[in-house]
Amino acid sequence: MMHSHASHNAVIMPRMTDVVVEVRELRKTFRVTEREEGLAATLRSFVRRHRKDVNAVAGITFRIDPGEVVGFLGPNGAGKTTTLKMLSGLLHPSEGEASVLGYVPWKRENAYLQRMTLLMGNRTQLVWDIPAADSFRVLQEIYRIPEEQFRSTVNELTELLELQDLVHKPVRNLSLGERMKVEFAAGLIHSPRVAFLDEPTIGLDISMQSRIRRFVAEYNRRTGATILLTSHYMDDVVALCKRVIVIHRGRLLYDGPLADLAERMAPYKIITATLHDGAVPSTDLDSYGTVVSRDEGRVTLRVDRQVAPERTARLVNDLGDRLADISVEDPPIEEVIDRVFTSEQTTVSA
Amino acid sequence: MIRTYRALLVAQLQASSQYRVQVLLWMLFSVIRPVIFLAAWVAVANAQGGQIGTYDVRDFAAYYICLSLVSCLTASWNAYEFEYEVRFGRLSPKLLRPLHPIHYAVVENFVSKLTQIVPLSIVLVFISITFDARFRTTPAHVLLFVPSVVLAAALSFLSGWVLATTAFWTTRVHSVSTFWDRAAFIFAGQIAPLALLPGPLQALSLVLPFGYVLGVPAEILRGGVSPSTALLLMAGQAIWVGVFFVAFQRVWRAGVRQYSAVGA
Repeated sequence: MMHSHASHNAVIMPRMTDVVVEVRELRKTFRVTEREEGLAATLRSFVRRHRKDVNAVAGITFRIDPGEVVGFLGPNGAGKTTTLKMLSGLLHPSEGEASVLGYVPWKRENAYLQRMTLLMGNRTQLVWDIPAADSFRVLQEIYRIPEEQFRSTVNELTELLELQDLVHKPVRNLSLGERMKVEFAAGLIHSPRVAFLDEPTIGLDISMQSRIRRFVAEYNRRTGATILLTSHYMDDVVALCKRVIVIHRGRLLYDGPLADLAERMAPYKIITATLHDGAVPSTDLDSYGTVVSRDEGRVTLRVDRQVAPERTARLVNDLGDRLADISVEDPPIEEVIDRVFTSEQTTVSA
Repeated sequence: MIRTYRALLVAQLQASSQYRVQVLLWMLFSVIRPVIFLAAWVAVANAQGGQIGTYDVRDFAAYYICLSLVSCLTASWNAYEFEYEVRFGRLSPKLLRPLHPIHYAVVENFVSKLTQIVPLSIVLVFISITFDARFRTTPAHVLLFVPSVVLAAALSFLSGWVLATTAFWTTRVHSVSTFWDRAAFIFAGQIAPLALLPGPLQALSLVLPFGYVLGVPAEILRGGVSPSTALLLMAGQAIWVGVFFVAFQRVWRAGVRQYSAVGA
């Protein structure tokens, strides 16, 4: 059952050196009702329901230091949102412990709620029928933000998110991207120390995505807030997070620098060779590595990480003058992630 | 808290100002039912020589006019909205703010009544003249009516929330509240003034909470009961408010635990 951690309940602001998020063996099991399709099964389900336990989060442990921006990666149903909901206090875990800023999140103490925000890209928390500026005023009173601080926060968010024209229109008249910017402002109006962002750029066009990304990076730089974000867009993660936590089927697969993810999870390199005369040698390429593509004048090979230097040297040597350019790179991050999720791997911690 | 309420009030007034026509339609809709009952009782009373029990035609008119007013002042529709909020996850952001979600509903409820009361009063004055309503109201009745209708509104609001909170367990709050409304139809004084219900039903109506929301304050305003009886009835209102207040706190706590157990 749930354990609370007495020493973490104290209502104190953490020192800057303290860990902001600490999660230990966190689990969440949902009981769901299952039913087969068809009339007979439907009738049977009136009498007796088949219930099944689903381990949404199956025991994860990690910690996050102040000011970190951590990317939380995993396919749909991996347990990302469930974890964020537990850390923000919406969900009670089935087992395990968590402490954020020294509070047990699911106790939802006001002192904790004052210092935390959860922003979900596909949910709205603004009142539709009134301009956001008026919602901000309501939030000011709910969070008891002093007037001066409120003004400076609103000014700063207005500048960073370019909200000038948006806050005075009723929210329902805003486009999705505009609304998301305003949602961000509403979610951060109380200057939280920790922000959980669940798919903050979902459904937005490329330029709006990158604007939101720039905002998150700048916000983190200016305020030192700790940010844990989930996203399906690897660009978000690459742009914002030095560190990533990868979960799959409720288990932690990787926790460490984004830069090392490829090395740990994808034990191969991509060698791309470009040739002068446009002629790709038709034979023997397999002896260097697996041919990924072979276009006119360019060949791409996948080579085991350990032998990559040796194969590259041999390729340079063998191709001689015909070689115009050669590069040795990690595979694209999407490919690495895809590889992680499609293969069963054991936990790797950096 | 006062500042929070003021901010919520301003926001809600702005939001509802965008739905002026809707407010008017709701108000008219809420008057239709009492007027139909009034017309029916007038017809029945006229057929029986103009009098049923202690009510004559003009008493019926006064009763249903008071009932319309009370009905507007005590209306509570949280069950419907709350089910929607739970089902579509709109409750979650509210749960993550340092303010109990009930406060938003209190303000919304208050503002809605505020916007309806003026146009409703005009309509009721018109009906009153048309049916030549006879009020037996004394200043004492008016004085007692104010706390009585506040208690009734609180009772209606709290019982509505207790029902609404069942949304945490079932996504079919609608059927629960429909059952509740059917019971209220008989026992709240809608189909007939409580004094005209057959003996056993009348006794039951004094035990159940429904009559304390509509019939009781309506009769107090009409001057249909003596001030001392009014005080007794108000004690009944206070008891039910207490019961539902305790019930709400318990059900809410258990409900939020359930919500956060199965998926917010």
